[in-house]
Amino acid sequence: MSRVAPLFGPLLLRPLRRDRLRFALTVAGIAVGVATMAAILLANASVLASFAATVDVVAGKAGLTVLADGPGIPEETLARLAWLRPRGVALVPAVSATAALEGGDVVEILGIDPVTDPAVRDYRFSADETTLRQLFAIFQKDSVLVPAPLAERLGLSEGSELGVFAGGSLRRLRVAGILRLEGAARAAAGSIVFADIATAQELFAREGFLDRIDLVLPQGLEAASRAALEESVRESLPAGVTVGRPERRTATVDRMVRSFRVNLTALGLIALLVGTYFVYSTLSISVLRRRTDIGTVRALGASSRAVFLVFLAEGAALGVLGSLLGLALGAGMAKAALAAVGGTATDFYLPQASPSLALEPRALLTAFLTGLVTSILSALAPALEAAHVDPATTLRHGSVEASRRRAVNPLAAAGVVLLFLAALATRPGPVGGLPLFGFAAVFLVVAGVSLLAPFAVTEAALRSDRLAVRLLGVEARIARANLTGSLSRTAVAVAALSMGISMMVAVAVMVGSFRATVVDWVSETLKADLFVAPEGGSRALGRLPEEVVGLLDRLPGVASVDPFLSFEATTGGVPYTVGSGRFAVVAAHGDLPMADGSDTRETVRRALTRNEALVSEPYAVKFGVRPGDLVTLPALDGPVALRVAGVYRDYSNDRGTVTVDRALFQRLFRMDGAKSLALRLVPGVSPEEARRRILAATRGRFALRIQTNASLRDAALALFDRTFAVTYALEAVAVAVAVLGVFSTLLALVLERRREIGLLRVLGASAARVSRAVRYEAAALSALGIGLGIFAGAAMGWILIHVVNKQSFGWTIRTDVPWGFLAGALGLVVLATLAAAGRPARLAAATDAAAVLKEE
Amino acid sequence: MGAKVEVEGVRKVWGTGRPEGEGAVSEALAGVSFTLEPGDFVALLGPSGCGKSTLLNLLGALDRPTSGRVLVDGRDLSLLSDTGRDLYRRRTAATVFQFFNLLPTMTSLENVALPLLLDGIPLAEADARAGAALAEVGLPEKTGSFPWQLSGGQMQRVAVARALVARPSLLLADEPTGNLDSRSGERVLDLVSNLVAARGVTIVLATHSTEAAARASRVLRLRDGRLEE
Repeated sequence: MSRVAPLFGPLLLRPLRRDRLRFALTVAGIAVGVATMAAILLANASVLASFAATVDVVAGKAGLTVLADGPGIPEETLARLAWLRPRGVALVPAVSATAALEGGDVVEILGIDPVTDPAVRDYRFSADETTLRQLFAIFQKDSVLVPAPLAERLGLSEGSELGVFAGGSLRRLRVAGILRLEGAARAAAGSIVFADIATAQELFAREGFLDRIDLVLPQGLEAASRAALEESVRESLPAGVTVGRPERRTATVDRMVRSFRVNLTALGLIALLVGTYFVYSTLSISVLRRRTDIGTVRALGASSRAVFLVFLAEGAALGVLGSLLGLALGAGMAKAALAAVGGTATDFYLPQASPSLALEPRALLTAFLTGLVTSILSALAPALEAAHVDPATTLRHGSVEASRRRAVNPLAAAGVVLLFLAALATRPGPVGGLPLFGFAAVFLVVAGVSLLAPFAVTEAALRSDRLAVRLLGVEARIARANLTGSLSRTAVAVAALSMGISMMVAVAVMVGSFRATVVDWVSETLKADLFVAPEGGSRALGRLPEEVVGLLDRLPGVASVDPFLSFEATTGGVPYTVGSGRFAVVAAHGDLPMADGSDTRETVRRALTRNEALVSEPYAVKFGVRPGDLVTLPALDGPVALRVAGVYRDYSNDRGTVTVDRALFQRLFRMDGAKSLALRLVPGVSPEEARRRILAATRGRFALRIQTNASLRDAALALFDRTFAVTYALEAVAVAVAVLGVFSTLLALVLERRREIGLLRVLGASAARVSRAVRYEAAALSALGIGLGIFAGAAMGWILIHVVNKQSFGWTIRTDVPWGFLAGALGLVVLATLAAAGRPARLAAATDAAAVLKEE
Repeated sequence: MGAKVEVEGVRKVWGTGRPEGEGAVSEALAGVSFTLEPGDFVALLGPSGCGKSTLLNLLGALDRPTSGRVLVDGRDLSLLSDTGRDLYRRRTAATVFQFFNLLPTMTSLENVALPLLLDGIPLAEADARAGAALAEVGLPEKTGSFPWQLSGGQMQRVAVARALVARPSLLLADEPTGNLDSRSGERVLDLVSNLVAARGVTIVLATHSTEAAARASRVLRLRDGRLEE
């Protein structure tokens, strides 16, 4: 290293000081890529960490936990496990749910048995002591305990009231005590309230059911006897109820968010790819500009290895700086993202309320190392080039470029091969539920098109030369000469720009197609005139009581009512939804489009008469189920196998849903009421009129949210747009980085070609013409980048729609290109690149011919 | 026709960056005066740093004198607008350099056609005239070659073709043989003197080679910014 150290000053530090702008841009480029990745990893890690922490806190001292696959654990299960008590095992039941509060906050509600619960979870009151009397305060109906920070946030004190939406009305709960933020109160980052189990069951409309039974095992139990105990417990459990380690639920949540995370991470990687272009570009420019200096230090005895290490170190240094900056930026982005989705009650990816940002070391390290390693990798080529500078001869730039030009055709051939491999990679199915080959195909397209960039630049330049000179004058030829003359630089800029553009085009095509598909689907499925749901929306507790269903059934002016009921189930740890509706209503209206295009009315009628199930497309893809196959549902009286009558399209839920007729559902799961209802009106009755009648009939007893067809459709699309807002942000970042790349390339070209610009001035070219030539270069770079980007983006969009989306979510999406959006966005890119040419163009125009020619 | 050049008491002073007082400025030209008649072939002889390049830059309107005047065909170059200076370099004064200064990313033909295109001559005519100019310097077969595919002598001949293609009346040559072996240098000088004789172009040839200077009809010796004719 001592041989390398003296080279840092002359070869790196001083030139860096001279090129501060380019240096800063490079660091920023890496930072943006790393930030995107870090934000995604951190947001995911935070969601999981806070969920896992909650699982830990809620599980407390439990050695085993009993959970249900189906709608709940029947209370009788406690009696079946009573034999455990004489063996020193404490049985602690609980129910839990996420609830929307009156003010819009979202909290967890844990229903506990105050007598047994202290055995597994700790409760500390502000009075600094735990007395059973204080815990017993929640025996009183509708009383809750609130952690101090939450009480402070909501302005609560002992005796004050807390509004919560449950069972279609606003329920007032009384604060019976304030808990210190310790023990159980730390669950869900303190956004949790505790009620007596009976209060909670009534709020959740879950009378007779439990969500969990925690088993506290005697101390000093050996592993063998513990396993034997677990086995005995398993044997005494009813069907659909399982026992295991408490932490297994974290794995379920992990699986839930995995597809989402993998998709976002892939997008983040592409952003990083664009960022690392900067390292390559900056370093290869450095090497070119310091060629003479390198020759000099080599002549003075520096080894080629030392020179190689110096430039590799520069790449590493840029990588470290950019990555560190990226981590800070990414943490901020993750925090903002969590705040944005954590506060809303609509997001379906968050398993619980308001996770806080966890700076998980593994996520940070992964993002940092990815940034550093890609920086070093992209520094390899320039560092090798530096190491090969011959101290004896000063190579002419032209001859270096000439050797590069010979690589154009082999590179293009390699690019074509990669594109062919990309096509092959679209064929295989998912690996472990993830579309790994699909992502490989996306990256192969990016790599293949990048390799085609030099070919595209030279071909376009040569073929357009004469026409361009006729149309635009000699400036076009000067621009062309610069573009092909510094192919190593311009082709890389074009590749980077095309990467950014392709990402934008692909995501726009994917999201646009998805949106168009959802719009179609919404208009096919949301055909009812009115939709009734409890106030508080999807996070309202419990269900609308059966009384509401009957009331609407009998309401004058209402032609038909389709009540929706569902619960979350798991099979082998994989979550899915069991839902129900009135198949007779669906069969009459046919508003449930089938994935294979078969007749909805006939399929649903058959399912109704034969007691068969319908499954959603994501369910069919995820579990590999086809019409005619059997699905097993966790009915309360034991598993029930139903034949699948058909697969319907559903974009509202990627977990997958098994839907059965309401009568069958109520028989299997003994659940009544409705989560929401779709109403069709008698012709001539206006939605407004019906709405008034419903409100009049329920006034004072139920808090209902009644939406017309149009407003529900709008809400559905608004939710869609909010879900995909982050992807637009990502693509905007990628394009911005790529445009910065064009700026940095042009700047480098101008700096490098000062002599030639001076010469042009001597030959009588005006400053305006020199500057115009630079702008033409920018236009050509942007046109080529856009052209290749559209090509790659179209291919990637196709892969995202038909391979990645299909394999990760099971959704069939029809391609629908958002032409208007694309034209607008690409127009902006052209304007941005032309604007980016401003400073380099002015710099070129200001070149002092006499001074630069004197430098020889 | 060649240009008439009148240089009257020209001084050119550079700031050296040192504090004020002695040595704060360096005098590249210390009051130089001479007159060239149309068709004159003048050698500007002197050691490195004597002010030859500075004088050529002034004659090429790349720079303005600190004091004094440079008149070409009666026009004071200092008084020309930026556009006028661009026009002057395109049509009146052409330069040949020691290091050829061909644009490395253009072919010979494109390099030679460049001044014509800059002057708004249509592409087809520019190409035809550039081809003819390359034939005149003996390189008709090298039209499609890039500079890095040519020898030094060939590059300088392309540079001569480029300098003369727009039919300038003044040719400024800055050490045109300085970077060539003696045989190639001879050929380039032959070429320049023949073309000049045929067209009556006024030539200023800056050199420190006395052999090169021997071809000139008149020799100006420059030392420390002063003429010692």
